Amino acid sequence: MPSLYHYLSLSALLFCIGIFGALTRRNAIGILMAIELLFNAVNINFVAFARFIDPQAIVGQVFTIFVITIAAAEAAVGLAIIILIYRQHKGVDVDKVNIMKW
Amino acid sequence: MYFIPIFPEIFLFLWAILIFVVDFFLKEDKRKNLGYLSLLGILITIILLFFSAQGEMFGKVYSYDSLSLFFKLVFLLSAFLAISVSIDFVAKFRAFKGEFFGLILFSTVGMMLLSSARELIFLYVSLELVTIPLYVLAAYLKPDKKSAEAGLKYMLLGAISSAILLYGISLIYGITGTTFLLGIKTRLMVDYLQIGPIGPGLFLSFIFFIAGFGFKLALVPFHMWAPDVYEGAPTPITAFLSVGSKAAGLVAFLRVFFESFSVYNPDWVTIVAVLAALSMIIGNIIALPQTNIKRMLAYSSIAQVGYILVGLVALSERGVSSVAFYTLAYLFANLGAFVVAIAFELQTGSSEIKDYSGLSISSPTLSFLMMLFLLSLVGIPPLAGFVGKYYLFAAAIEKHLIWLVVIAVLTSVISLYYYVGVIKEMYFNKKEGGEKIFLPFGIKLALLICIIGVLLVGLFPNPFLNLASQAATVFKY
Amino acid sequence: MIEYVWLIPLLPLIGFVINGILGRRLGKTLVSLIGCGTIGVSFLISVKILFELLSLPAEHRIIERVVFPWIYSGLFKVNVSFLLDPLSCVMILVVSGVGFFIHVYSIGYMGEDKGFARFFSFMNLFVFFMLTLVLSNNFLLLYLGWEGVGLCSYLLIGFWYEKKSASDAAKKAFIVNRIGDFGFALGIMLIFWTFGTLNYSDVFLQAPSILTLGGGLATAITLLLFAGAVGKSAQIPLYVWLPDAMEGPTPVSALIHAATMVTAGVYMVARCHVLFQLAPFTMGLVAVIGAVTALYTASIGMVQNDIKRVLAYSTISQLGYMFLGCGVGAFASGIFHLMTHAFFKALLFLGAGCVMHALSGELNMQKMGELKNKLPVTFWTMFAAVLAISGIPLFSGFFSKDEILWKAFSQGNLILWIIGLVTAGMTAFYMFRLFFLTFFGKSRVDESIKSHIHESPKIMIVPLMVLAVLSVIGGYIGVPKSLGGGNNFESFLSPVFGEKGEIALHPASTEYLLMALSVVVALLGIFFAYRFYIKSPDLPKSLAQRFSFPYKLLLNKYYVDELYFKIVVNPLLKFATFLWQFFDVKVIDGIANGLANTVNWFAGIGRKVQTGYVRNYALGMVFGVLLILAYFILR
Repeated sequence: MPSLYHYLSLSALLFCIGIFGALTRRNAIGILMAIELLFNAVNINFVAFARFIDPQAIVGQVFTIFVITIAAAEAAVGLAIIILIYRQHKGVDVDKVNIMKW
Repeated sequence: MYFIPIFPEIFLFLWAILIFVVDFFLKEDKRKNLGYLSLLGILITIILLFFSAQGEMFGKVYSYDSLSLFFKLVFLLSAFLAISVSIDFVAKFRAFKGEFFGLILFSTVGMMLLSSARELIFLYVSLELVTIPLYVLAAYLKPDKKSAEAGLKYMLLGAISSAILLYGISLIYGITGTTFLLGIKTRLMVDYLQIGPIGPGLFLSFIFFIAGFGFKLALVPFHMWAPDVYEGAPTPITAFLSVGSKAAGLVAFLRVFFESFSVYNPDWVTIVAVLAALSMIIGNIIALPQTNIKRMLAYSSIAQVGYILVGLVALSERGVSSVAFYTLAYLFANLGAFVVAIAFELQTGSSEIKDYSGLSISSPTLSFLMMLFLLSLVGIPPLAGFVGKYYLFAAAIEKHLIWLVVIAVLTSVISLYYYVGVIKEMYFNKKEGGEKIFLPFGIKLALLICIIGVLLVGLFPNPFLNLASQAATVFKY
Repeated sequence: MIEYVWLIPLLPLIGFVINGILGRRLGKTLVSLIGCGTIGVSFLISVKILFELLSLPAEHRIIERVVFPWIYSGLFKVNVSFLLDPLSCVMILVVSGVGFFIHVYSIGYMGEDKGFARFFSFMNLFVFFMLTLVLSNNFLLLYLGWEGVGLCSYLLIGFWYEKKSASDAAKKAFIVNRIGDFGFALGIMLIFWTFGTLNYSDVFLQAPSILTLGGGLATAITLLLFAGAVGKSAQIPLYVWLPDAMEGPTPVSALIHAATMVTAGVYMVARCHVLFQLAPFTMGLVAVIGAVTALYTASIGMVQNDIKRVLAYSTISQLGYMFLGCGVGAFASGIFHLMTHAFFKALLFLGAGCVMHALSGELNMQKMGELKNKLPVTFWTMFAAVLAISGIPLFSGFFSKDEILWKAFSQGNLILWIIGLVTAGMTAFYMFRLFFLTFFGKSRVDESIKSHIHESPKIMIVPLMVLAVLSVIGGYIGVPKSLGGGNNFESFLSPVFGEKGEIALHPASTEYLLMALSVVVALLGIFFAYRFYIKSPDLPKSLAQRFSFPYKLLLNKYYVDELYFKIVVNPLLKFATFLWQFFDVKVIDGIANGLANTVNWFAGIGRKVQTGYVRNYALGMVFGVLLILAYFILR
C-alpha cells in the first residue's frame, strides 16, 4: 500500500521533470507539453492530499477537475498562439523568437 | 434596493457576452461602436457596485467588502480607460472583431472576482480568467511579429507561473486540509502553537505563492516577461496589463498573505521586502538606457511595484491603505503616460523616445500632460504620485524599515533621470515642423480622466485616502 | 447668504477657468461678461453678507466655516475654511468692489489688446487668490493666497512680455517678493512649531499664555511675518519692485499695485495684531519703517516725471501711513486708511490710464498739460481723488489720515507724528504737482497726437465716477467722535481688534488743533505746487539747478537701485559665477556625471540579462525560487 509520501515524491519528480523540460526544450509544443506535466504533478498532489488528509475527501478532487479544465483552455490558447508563430517563422523554435530583448 | 453582492460581476459578464453576440450582426465599419457599448457596460457596472449589498456569498467563498470595492473601482477604471483609447486604435488591426472589447471585459470580470475571492479554487479560477484573455489580447496585432512574440512569451511564462502557484496551493491544501483562506489561517495558528516555527513544506508553498503572484506583479526576479510583452502587445493592452493585471495580482497577494499567512508574517515579509528593493533597483536602473517608451514604462512599472510593496511590508493598516492609495495614484499617472504614448503612436506609428523631440512645439497641451504624468510617476508635488509615495514611505518608516525607504528614495532619484529624459526630448530638443498630434474622442476622454485624477488625488487626497483606509480595515493586523 | 461665503472666491476662479481655457473662442463680449460678471456677483454677495453681519449682534459677528478638509497628516491639520468677521468683510468688499469697477474699466482699456482673454483670466485668478487670502481662517491658506497673488502680479506685470522692461520688472517684483516671502514662510513654520496649529483662532487664543510679552519667540515670529509684509507691501528696504511694476497695464497697477495686493501686508499685520501686540519691539519697528518709508518715498515722488511712477511712490508712501497706524496700535485706523486709499488710489490710476489713453500712451508729465477741457470727466474725478489723498477736510483721505496721525500723537510718538505731518505736506505737493502738470498750464503735448485727444469711452468713465463718489464720501463711515461722528468704522471692527476706549490723555481741543495743523500743512503743499507749476513754471528748473545735488538725488531715487545692484546683486552674481564655473562644473558635475556614468554602465550590463529567449526568462523565475529556498535553508 503506497503512502502519501510515495505520491508526493512522484508528484515532485514529475514537477521537476516538467520544469526541466520547460527550460530545455526549444520546441514550443515541447514546452507546452512540459507545462502539462507541471499541471499533472499538481493534480497528483491534490488527489493524494484529498485521499490522505482531507476528511471530506472532496475539495482536492474538485480542484483537480478545475485544473484540468483550465489547463485545457490554456493549452488551446497556447496552441493558437503557437500556430501564429509557426505562420510567421515557418517553425516553432522559441529561440528564434527573440526580436525583443534588452 | 440592493442587489446581491456578486451582481456587478454577473452583469459585466453578461454584457461581455452581449458584445460577442452583437458583433455577429454588425458590419465591419460599425464595429467601432462596440467600444462605446463596452464603455456603457463598465459605467453601469460601476453604478451597480454602489447598489450591491456588501457581504459574503457561497459560504465565505466570495466576499464583497471595502477592499474589493476599492480594487474593483481600480479595475473598472483601468478597463474603461483601456477601452476608450482602444476605440480608435482598433483601426490598426487587420481583422478586427468586437471580441477585442469582449475579452477585455472578461479579463476585468476575472479581476473583480479575484478581488473578492476568499477561497483558493475560486481564486485560481478567477486568476486564470484574468490571464487567458490577456494572452490572446497580447498577440492581437496578428501580422505583427512583435505582438505574436509577446503573446507566446506571455503565454508560456504565464502558464509556468500558474503551475508554480498551483503547486503552492496544493501544498497549502495538504498542510491545512482546506482551501478557505480563513480556514487556512485558523489551522496555521493551531499548527504554530503546537509545532512552532515554519516547516519546509509551508515555506516552499510561501515561495510558490510569492512566485505566482510575483509574476502577475512583475516583481523581480519574476519580471522578465514584462518588458518584452509590454513592448510587443498592442499599446492599450499594455496599459491595461500595467495597471489592471498588476492590481489584480496585488489584491490576490493581499488577500492570501494578510488573511491566511499572517501567523508567519516575519518569515515571508523579509523575502518580499528584499524582492521589493531588488525591483526598485533593477527596474529603475535598466529603465535608464531604454529607447522605446513602452519598454521604458515597463521597467518603470517594475520599479513602481517595488514602491507599492514598501507600503505592504509595513504590515499595518496604514501600510495597506497607502498601498491601495498609491495604486490609484499610479493608475492615473501610468495610464495617462500610456494614453499619450498611444496618441503619439496612432499618428506617427512610432514609440521611440527620440521621435518625441519637438513635441512641445507641435502639440503643447499633449506634451504638458505627458510631463505632468511623468512627474507624478517620479513623485513631484503636488501631483498624485507625491502624496502616494509620501504615505507609502511614512507607513514603512513607522515600522522602522529605514533601509527600504532609503533605497526607495535613492532609486526615485534615479527614476527622475529617465522620466525627465522624455520631458527633455519633448521640450529641449527642438525640432521644428513636427505635425500636431490629432486626438480622437476616446483618447481625449481618457486624457481628461487621467489628468483630473492626477491633480485631484494630488491636491485633495482626503476622500481617496478615506476610501483607501476603509479598504485597509478588512484585515486584522 | 453667510453660508455661501465660499461662493465669493469660487466665482472668480470659475471665471478664470472658463476664460483661461475657452477665452480665445468665446469672443470679447462673452469674455468680459464672464470676467466682470463673476466678480460682480461676488461683490453683490459680499454686500449682502455685510448687511447680514450688521444685523447680527456685535459679539456674534465672527463666523468660521469649514468648506472641506484639505491636508490631514498627523498633527498637521488644515482645512479650507473661511473666517468671516468685520475685518475680512471690509476686505472682501474692497477687493470685490474696487476689483469689479476696475474690471469694467479694463473692458475699455484693454479692448484692443490681443491678449484680452488672457488678461481677464489672470485678473480673475488674482481676485480669487486675493479673496482667499483675506477670507482664510488659517495661515496656510493665507500663504496660498499670498503666493497666488504674487504669481498673478508677476504674470500681469509681465503681461506685455515682448517688452524687455516689462519682463525684467516682472522678474524683479517676483524675486524681491521672494525675499520677504522666505521670512514669511519661516514665520508660519515657527508658528506651527510653537502652537502646533495654524488656525488663527487657536493661535490667537493660545498666544497670550504661550508667548510672553516682549519675549524672544513673540518677537521672532512677528519679525518674520513682518518681513513678508515688507516685501508684499513694498516698504523699506524691499520697496524697489513697486515703481518698476508700473510696466504692467494700468488697470493692473490700479487693482494689484495700489488698491489690493500691496495692502495684503497691512491686512496680515492687522489680522495678527494679537501676536504683534505681544512684541512691542516689532510694533515699534513697524511704526518706524512705516513712517520712514512714507517720508522717504514721498520725497522721491516730488520730482518724478512719469505719471504712473509718481502714483507708485505715492502708493508706497500711503502704505507707510498704514503701517505707521498699525505700529502705534491703531489697527482699525490702518484698515480705514487702507479702504479709503483703495478708493482714491484706484481712481488716480484709472484716471492716469484715461490720460494715457487720450495721449496714445504718453507717460511723461512734462509732455502733458491743458487737458482740463479736453478730458472733463477725468479732470473732475481725479480732482476729487487728489483732494482726498491730500487730506482736504470733508474728503475721505482726511478722516483716515488724520486718524492715524492723531493716534500716533496720542501714543506720545511725537517724532513719528512730525514725520507723518511733513509727509502729508509733501503728499499734497506732489499730488497737486501731478494734477497741475497734467491738466493746467500750457499744453506741451506732441503735435502729432494733439489733434485727436479724446475723452475715454463710457465703459471707462463710469467706473471713474463711481470711485470718485466713493473717494468723497468713503470717509464718512469713520468720522471721529470729536467731529460729532460715531466712528462707526472703528466700532464695526471692534470685535476683531477689541474695544479700545478713547484714551483721554489729550483733550478734544488738542485734536482740533492737530487737525487744523495738518490741514494747514496740506494747504501749504498745495500752495507751493500752485506757485511752482502754474504761477511761474520756470521756477522748478532754476531751483533744480540751484539745488542740483538734492534734486539729482531725488530724481534718481536716492540711487538705491544702483546701490542694491552694487552691494547685493553684483557680488552675488560674481559669487554665483564662481560657484558655477568652478564648484558646479568641476566638482558637482564631476561627481554627478561620474555617478550617472557608473549607473549607466551597470544598466548596460544589467539589460543584457534580458536576452529575449523565453527559456532564459523561465530559468530566471526558477532561479529566483531556488535562491529564496536557499535563503530559507541557510538562515
